[in-house]
Amino acid sequence: MDAATGTLKAPVLKKPGNSASRRLRNFKENAPFLLMILPAVVVVFLFCYLPIYGVLIAFQDFMPGDEILSENTIWVGFDNFTRFFNDPQFWPLMKNTFLICIFGFIIGFPLPILIALTLNALKSKKVGKSLQTIFTAPHFISLVVLVGMLQLFFGSDGLLASIAAHFGGSYKSLFLKDSAFRPLYILSSNWQDFGWSAIIYIAALSNVDPQQHEAAILDGASRFQRVIHVDLPAIMPMISVMLIMSIGGLMGVGYEKALLMQTDGNLHTSELVSTYVYKQGLTGIPDQAYAAAIGLFNSVINVVLLIIANTTSKKFSENSLW
Amino acid sequence: MSEVILKDLKKVYDNKVTAVHDVNLTIQDKEFIVLVGPSGCGKSTTLRMVAGLEEISDGELYIDGRLVNEVAPKDRDIAMVFQNYALYPHMTVYDNMAFALKLRKVKKADIDKKVREVAEILDITQYLKRKPKALSGGQRQRVAIGRAMVRDPKVFLMDEPLSNLDAKLRNQMRAEIIKLRSRINTTFMYVTHDQTEAMTLGDRIVIMKDGFVNQIGTPQEVFNRPVNLFVAGFIGMPVMNFFDGCKLLLENGKYFAEIRGVKFELDEFQQKALKQNGVKPCDIVAGIRPQHVTVGSGDLTATIEVSEMMGSEYNIHARSGEDEVVMLIPTVDLTTDVSIGRNIRFTTKPGLIQLFDKATGNNLIWYDADSAANNAPVCKRYD
Repeated sequence: MDAATGTLKAPVLKKPGNSASRRLRNFKENAPFLLMILPAVVVVFLFCYLPIYGVLIAFQDFMPGDEILSENTIWVGFDNFTRFFNDPQFWPLMKNTFLICIFGFIIGFPLPILIALTLNALKSKKVGKSLQTIFTAPHFISLVVLVGMLQLFFGSDGLLASIAAHFGGSYKSLFLKDSAFRPLYILSSNWQDFGWSAIIYIAALSNVDPQQHEAAILDGASRFQRVIHVDLPAIMPMISVMLIMSIGGLMGVGYEKALLMQTDGNLHTSELVSTYVYKQGLTGIPDQAYAAAIGLFNSVINVVLLIIANTTSKKFSENSLW
Repeated sequence: MSEVILKDLKKVYDNKVTAVHDVNLTIQDKEFIVLVGPSGCGKSTTLRMVAGLEEISDGELYIDGRLVNEVAPKDRDIAMVFQNYALYPHMTVYDNMAFALKLRKVKKADIDKKVREVAEILDITQYLKRKPKALSGGQRQRVAIGRAMVRDPKVFLMDEPLSNLDAKLRNQMRAEIIKLRSRINTTFMYVTHDQTEAMTLGDRIVIMKDGFVNQIGTPQEVFNRPVNLFVAGFIGMPVMNFFDGCKLLLENGKYFAEIRGVKFELDEFQQKALKQNGVKPCDIVAGIRPQHVTVGSGDLTATIEVSEMMGSEYNIHARSGEDEVVMLIPTVDLTTDVSIGRNIRFTTKPGLIQLFDKATGNNLIWYDADSAANNAPVCKRYD
C-alpha cells in the first residue's frame, strides 16, 4: 500500500538470478559448443576480417613498401575510384565480368538442381550412385589441368585441329577467338562443378519423407509429377539459400582460370575485373592502391546484390539468409 | 461391393527374408478389419501389398472381385492414411485434399464441393487455408483422413494412424474414427500395434507374428478363445497369467487341470470339447486372465509384491512359486488385506482357465487345425 496515495502497488516479481549470472550460466552450458566453433572464428577473423584493414590503401596514394597508417600517409579520398570510373577499361571490364557471371549463373544454377532431381528419381540406386561419382569427379581436377585439357581439345595443336588437318580443313584455336572465350569458360566450369554442386541438393532430397512419395503414388502422381510436387518443394528452401548466395557472388568471378585461358586473341572478352585487379596490383609497376579500389568497388556491388536478393527472397518466400 | 480377398499372399524380399507367409484373408464389404501384432510381424507389409506400395511376391489379391496384383496403386480405388500423415508441407490443407482429384482432372467446381463437404464432416473447414505446419497433430491427422475421404475409395487403408499422437488425443481420435466409420460406410483395413485400438475399432482382428497370421476373429473371440499362447499373451491388458508345469489329468472320465498341485475340475463345456478333440492327459501351460482371479479363497497361494490402487480396482502383482501372477480385483469385491508382503489365497472359475499344450503352445480347446493349415486360423466352432 502506498501511504501517500492510498493505492495498492503491484508486487514486483524478482526474476530468478540477475542477467549477469544468467549469462554466465548460459556461457557455461554452451561452453563445449563455443569451443567447437572457436577455430572457425579464429580463421575467419585472421583471414577475412583482419585484411579489411588493408582496404584503407584504396583511399591512399600508396606505394609498395609504404606503411598503411603512418605520419607520411597521403589520403586521396575517392580519387582511385574516380580514376577507375574514368578508365577506358571500366565499361569493357564491367561488361565482360557481368556477362560471364550472368551466363554462368543461368546455366550453372539450375543444372545441379536438375541433376540432383534426376539422380534422386532414378529407380536403381546403384546407377544413381555411380552417376553421382562420375559427375563429381571433375571437381577434383585442378584448374591448370582443366585448362590444359581444353588446350588439348581446342588449342592450335589440339584434337579439333588434328581432325580439321586430317580432312584438309583449316582450324583456328578457340583460345584465339574472342567469341569462343565465354562459352569455353562457362561450359567447362559447369562441366567441372555441376556434380559437386548437386551434392547439397541430393543431401536435401535424402531428407524427403518417403511416405510423401507413397501418398503421391496413391494420389495418382506420375514420377515426374512427384518430382514437381514432392521433391522440388522439399528442396526449395535450399534452392532459395543457394540462389541468394549465388547472386551475392555474381560479380565475384575469380581471376585464375581467366588468366590461364587468356591470350592476346581473346583479351577483349577475357579481361575481367579480377584479372585487371591482378595485373594492376601484382604485375609491371604495381599500383596496389588502384587495384584495392577496383576490388573494393567489386565487393560493394556483391554486397548490394546480396542484400537485394535476400530482401526480395524474404518478401516473396519464407526463406532468407538473415 | 468392396470385398478384399488375400489369397496365399506372400512377401519375400531380395535378401530372401520372408516378411509375410501365405496370408489368407477375406475382408467383407464395409467390414473394419484390424491387423495387429508386434513390430516386424508383417502387418504393415501386408497393408502395403494391398495398397500396391510393395510388390506381391506370390499369391493373389482381389479388390471388389478384380485381381489387382499388377494394377497400379492409383487404379486400385483405395486410399491410405499414413502414420506420419504424409501431408504435402508446401500445400494448404485445401490443396492437400484436392491434389488427388486435380491429378484425376476432376472439374474445379466438383473438387471444391467435395473438399468442403469432407472438411465439414471432419470439422476442419476453418483450417482449409492453413499449411500443415500450422496445425496440431490431431488436426493434421484429420486432414490426412480427409485427403483419403475426398476420393470416395472402395477400401480405406490406415497404417498406424494414431501412433504419433499423445495418449489423450489418441483416445479422442479413436472415437472419431469410430464415428467416421459409421458415416462413410466403406471397407477399412487398419494396422496397429496397440491391442486397445484393435479391440475397440475392429469388427474382426487379425493377429500376426513373424509374418504368420496367428488368429482371425472378433474382439470377443480373440480375447475369450485365443488359439495359442501368443494370441493369449498379446491380447488383453494386463497380460494373461501363464502357469508353467501344469498337467491335464483324466480321472474317471473327467478332465482336471492341475495347477501348482491344486486340481480344478473343468466345466461341462470344457469336458465336452476336450473329449470331442480326443485330448489325452498331458503337460500343459494354464492361462488365467488377471480379471478372472478371485482373491481371498481357494487353494492357490501367493505373496503380494506390488499392490496398485487404480481407483475402481486393485492391480496386484504377486509371486506364486516361480510365477508372477497379476490380479485385477474390483475394489468393491475386495474383502482381503492386499498390502505388500501379505500372503493371500486365490483361485478362479475352472471354466475360465485356458489350456495350452506345452509342446505346441496351441489351445487344447480353441485351436482349429483345419483353418490353421489353410493359413487363416480361427477359433474352433462347437455346436
